[in-house]
Amino acid sequence: MSGDEINPAAVAQAVEDVQGDDRWMSQIWRELFSPLHALNFGIGGDTTCNVLWRLQNGELDNIRPKVTVVWVGTNNHEHSAEQVAGGILAIAQLLTSRLPKTKVVVLGLLARGDGPNPLREKNAAVNGFLRSWLPRLGQAQFLDVGAGFVHSDGTISTRDMFDFLHLTAAGYRAIAKPLSDLLLQILDETPEEKRASLV
Amino acid sequence: MHHIANASLTDKVMSSGDSNPAATPTPCVDIQGDGRWMSLHNHFVSNSKDKEPDVLFVGDSLVQLLHQFEVWRELFSPLHALNFGVGGDETQHVLWRLSNGELAHISPKVVVLWVGTHNHSHTAEQICGGIMAIVQLIKDKLPKAYTLVLGVLPRGKMPNPLRERNAQVNKLVKDAVSSLPHASLLNVDPGFVHSDGSISHQDLYDFLHLTPQGYQAVCQPLHAHLKGLLEKQAEN
Repeated sequence: MSGDEINPAAVAQAVEDVQGDDRWMSQIWRELFSPLHALNFGIGGDTTCNVLWRLQNGELDNIRPKVTVVWVGTNNHEHSAEQVAGGILAIAQLLTSRLPKTKVVVLGLLARGDGPNPLREKNAAVNGFLRSWLPRLGQAQFLDVGAGFVHSDGTISTRDMFDFLHLTAAGYRAIAKPLSDLLLQILDETPEEKRASLV
Repeated sequence: MHHIANASLTDKVMSSGDSNPAATPTPCVDIQGDGRWMSLHNHFVSNSKDKEPDVLFVGDSLVQLLHQFEVWRELFSPLHALNFGVGGDETQHVLWRLSNGELAHISPKVVVLWVGTHNHSHTAEQICGGIMAIVQLIKDKLPKAYTLVLGVLPRGKMPNPLRERNAQVNKLVKDAVSSLPHASLLNVDPGFVHSDGSISHQDLYDFLHLTPQGYQAVCQPLHAHLKGLLEKQAEN
């Protein structure tokens, strides 16, 4: 991205409470990796802008995770692939500046939709940008967990993504293995405090 | 300008598809770019061709996500249930899906309908009209089926207008089905709202969608009620 342009995907933005019940303002807690003492700050529908806003407005104030796993970008419908990647990079940069000891793992965006479609191409392009940009950050790395979801005929099965976007239990099991392997490796390499914490 | 008396306006809102957008069959337009809504609909239609469900669950994300939890396998698979839930669906979307093939190949004894919480641009009266239009459609397509409408749950961490709207929808639907032999409303809220007006994220993790614990609290009585209905259907 050229220096003077503002990337809208990297502009922190709270979600307007358009539905009227404030549910977005509250946290989702899911114990996917609880043996690793993990916290989950995921919110359905969030864009990179929303995640940035949350991280800048309190969610990092009271914690010192050893590892931060970032998975966002598939909902950035108004932004180009390059802008989305820029937004994710901004999140990684924010994390390394606010939490100097944290290692950042950015998960690649998954394919989506029943068959080939423009969003699959877009998400793949985002991943392409991230693969080349993230290593320059030093403390951040990219992990692609999407292998195997798209079959040879180009379809995705509802057994893996029940609505061709969100993972089933089976889908989560498939991505959990490479992710937890990497997390254990990183936590193992981290010298102090064997009692790991990860966000 | 037509002068419309209040009483007949209510009638129009409650029953006429044309003047109530919540009761007008409407497909979802693909604004994201991957056509998932239509893919899911087509998947449901073709998936039903070799199934013979006794129970069909249809509705929005609360139905769809139910299929992803263990409670489905425990309680509803044994009843030979099929799940046609789509996240985000409003009454008019469910109406379109059921009008366009999802009921074409099956004859369930009971249809469990759970929809209405996402109808954000509609009034409680319009949402009720939408739900009643679905009840009528099911009656037309499956004359022997019983429709069990589930009450729309409260939502949001603290009291808010959507809770009031949803409660009003339930009241209106309950009145509307009271005279029908083939349908009823079941309140499945086990008491999610605490005395201080709050809802716990342990029941509704984002104050809208159910946790496994929340589903257990909802589904145990639902399952018992369903079994009773199925037994009654078998006797007839």
